[in-house]
Amino acid sequence: MTRGAALVWLLLLLAEGGPEASVSNLQVAVDGERALASLVLRNAFDGALLARLQSGLPTAIVYRFELLRDRKRWFDRGVAENTLEVAAVHDAVTQETTVNYRLDGKLIDSRTVRERPAIERAMTRLERVPVFSLEGLPHGQRLLVRARAELGTRMVLGLVPARVATAWAESRKFRPPAPAP
Amino acid sequence: MDLRDRLLRHRKDTRLIVGGLALLLLVLAAAFYLLQRGRDLPAVLVANRLLLFVLWYANVVLILTVLFVLLRNLFKLAVERRHRVLGSKFKTKLVASYIGLSLIPVLLLFLLAAELLQGSFDRWFNAPARPVLEQGSAVAQALYRRVEEDSLRAAGRVLAEVAALDLDSPAERTALARRLRALAAEHGVDLLAVYEGTEFVQAVVDPRAGLPDLPEPGRDLLEEAARQGRALRRQAPPGGRGRLLLAAAAEPGERLELTTVVVAGELLEPALAGRAEALMQGEQSFRQLEVQKDDLRASHFLIFLMMTLLILLASSWVGLYLARRVTVPILALAEGTRRISGGELSHRVEVEADDELGVLVSSFNRMTAELEASRALLERRTEELLEARQLAAWNEAARRLAHEIKNPLTPIRLAAERVLRKHRAADPGLGAAIEEGVEVIVREVGTMQAMVDEFSRYARMPRPRPVRVDLGKLVDETLHLYRGVKPGVAVEGAVAPELGEVWLDPEQIKRALINLLDNAVEATAPPGRVELRAAAADGHLEIRVADTGPGIPQESKEKLFLPYYSTKGRGTGLGLAIVHRIVTDHQGTIRVEDNQPQGAVFTIELPLAPSP
Repeated sequence: MTRGAALVWLLLLLAEGGPEASVSNLQVAVDGERALASLVLRNAFDGALLARLQSGLPTAIVYRFELLRDRKRWFDRGVAENTLEVAAVHDAVTQETTVNYRLDGKLIDSRTVRERPAIERAMTRLERVPVFSLEGLPHGQRLLVRARAELGTRMVLGLVPARVATAWAESRKFRPPAPAP
Repeated sequence: MDLRDRLLRHRKDTRLIVGGLALLLLVLAAAFYLLQRGRDLPAVLVANRLLLFVLWYANVVLILTVLFVLLRNLFKLAVERRHRVLGSKFKTKLVASYIGLSLIPVLLLFLLAAELLQGSFDRWFNAPARPVLEQGSAVAQALYRRVEEDSLRAAGRVLAEVAALDLDSPAERTALARRLRALAAEHGVDLLAVYEGTEFVQAVVDPRAGLPDLPEPGRDLLEEAARQGRALRRQAPPGGRGRLLLAAAAEPGERLELTTVVVAGELLEPALAGRAEALMQGEQSFRQLEVQKDDLRASHFLIFLMMTLLILLASSWVGLYLARRVTVPILALAEGTRRISGGELSHRVEVEADDELGVLVSSFNRMTAELEASRALLERRTEELLEARQLAAWNEAARRLAHEIKNPLTPIRLAAERVLRKHRAADPGLGAAIEEGVEVIVREVGTMQAMVDEFSRYARMPRPRPVRVDLGKLVDETLHLYRGVKPGVAVEGAVAPELGEVWLDPEQIKRALINLLDNAVEATAPPGRVELRAAAADGHLEIRVADTGPGIPQESKEKLFLPYYSTKGRGTGLGLAIVHRIVTDHQGTIRVEDNQPQGAVFTIELPLAPSP
């Protein structure tokens, strides 16, 4: 094998098949002193994830959220971080999939779904999740939320475990609510 | 630090590294376990993940450790070989032989094991296990679906009948109960229940089926049926016996709470449900293994890799161990030889060995002990000899001193006797005799005084005070004293120009040169030549005074520098003794040899740098 062919083979081995998973439509709504995040995770439900889910093993997608203060001439400053773990367990007998939502380790929601599109929807579409408290943040500051999803690990070259994660997606900038008079 | 200390330190380091890695592994495992527990995962799953994690990282850490130690050994060996450390070639050959001998079979075994593992995985996850499990699970699912469809059909028929009834009427409710019983028997279902929205209306349960009470179908089942017209659930009945399959039918309407929902259920007997579900769960377990097979394969592959590296490490260690068993005594012997040659005869080689090398070490130590004893004996003898020679020299000096003192005493005694004789004989020449006698006595006493002064100076000669001296200038000044002092004898000198300034006591060295030149000029008959040359040679300052005189007899050369030894028959006999003393005090040496073609040459060697 020539050196060039070996390089191509290695790149093909390292490259993932199909389109890359990505976080899109990240939107933040301010509800009182809470920031509610909504997003859609695309191209995450590949064959490997589905096979793991159907095997009955707990299958989790971990969403990482960061609340940042926007700075025009410098890097944005981190204000807070949060993690939402969406873990699904499939029961082969009842053909039901229980999806649990844990925000920073605390169970905030649990759903039982039965059809594959419903499972995918439950794991990849987040609607108004209260990811951050804006209490105490100055009204004048411009904030933004960025998020990414971690889809577990995969083996590189069949030996080395590597974490699979999407790129960071950013929301539009917003301001904390004005303090009550 | 001796060899034993180094070995002990090395052992301590190894223990520390292994202990540290084991501790790190434990800490990581504990952290991972706590993390997983914090996520409220099932205990079995946590244990599985923990096991996989520990296996994986234990493998990786061990492989890295083994690889590190192996490479470190080889690197050290390469460095030793590059620096030509004694024994490194032998070590390299032995280690290369051991690794070479084990490498081919180990690699073959590794490849064979990896191939076997790959084949085993392929077989495990392909025919015949996979289709059997998949088909078995599909059959069980088909059975459940068929029962669910039957129940759904029954629920649909009941719904059609119930739709015509006014469920708010108590009379019709009673009639409904009877009708439900009949319909349940007709459709062969174990449970029939009617709801308005999520409100219970009426139900019948066949007690013979094993259902002790009406099971709760669940609000979400009723809501789903009310929304979508149908819904299915598989429930574990109270008491955990069998499996209850529920089917709900409804006519979706505008308002959920007004929608009539009929639920039909059938309880599968425990034996049948148990077998069906074992098939489903078996297939799921197989899928779990299949999902994790890459991890498992990687872990097994790493274990093989680790074993391969361990064997290679063991080979290299055995090679190094055996090489050390040989090279350590050899190194110790080489070091011992170096020290012995440096005069450290008390050195002994301390290496514990019970083989032929041990015999060699013992022989070496015995030989060294004998050498030490011989040297002590030789030193004692030499000391005795030196003492004897010194005694003889002083005897000779005393004899010469007595002789020198005796010489002036004779004229003194004769002059005194002559004066006495003249006085007794009342000789008229007494006055003249007294005058002559006193002159003789005074002259001879003066000679004796000069002799005593010279001896005193020799005995009290001060220590040299070296300073930076331009030797060329010093030699010129000295030679200037001898220009034309003896017609027909040329006195010449030369100092090497690169010599520059040297460290010495100028007064003392000048006096030594004068004494040597005095003797040389006196011994050289015209036409003759006296030369004084100075140059650097082998890190020393070398001053040569050569003449073309008669030379010095061999028997006189050994005594030439002793006090009161003279071949001239006159003088104090201290001149060369003083030269010898000055040179010795300058940490130098002096020797006399024959000059070619005739004469004598005195060579003084002095250190160029000041002594510390």
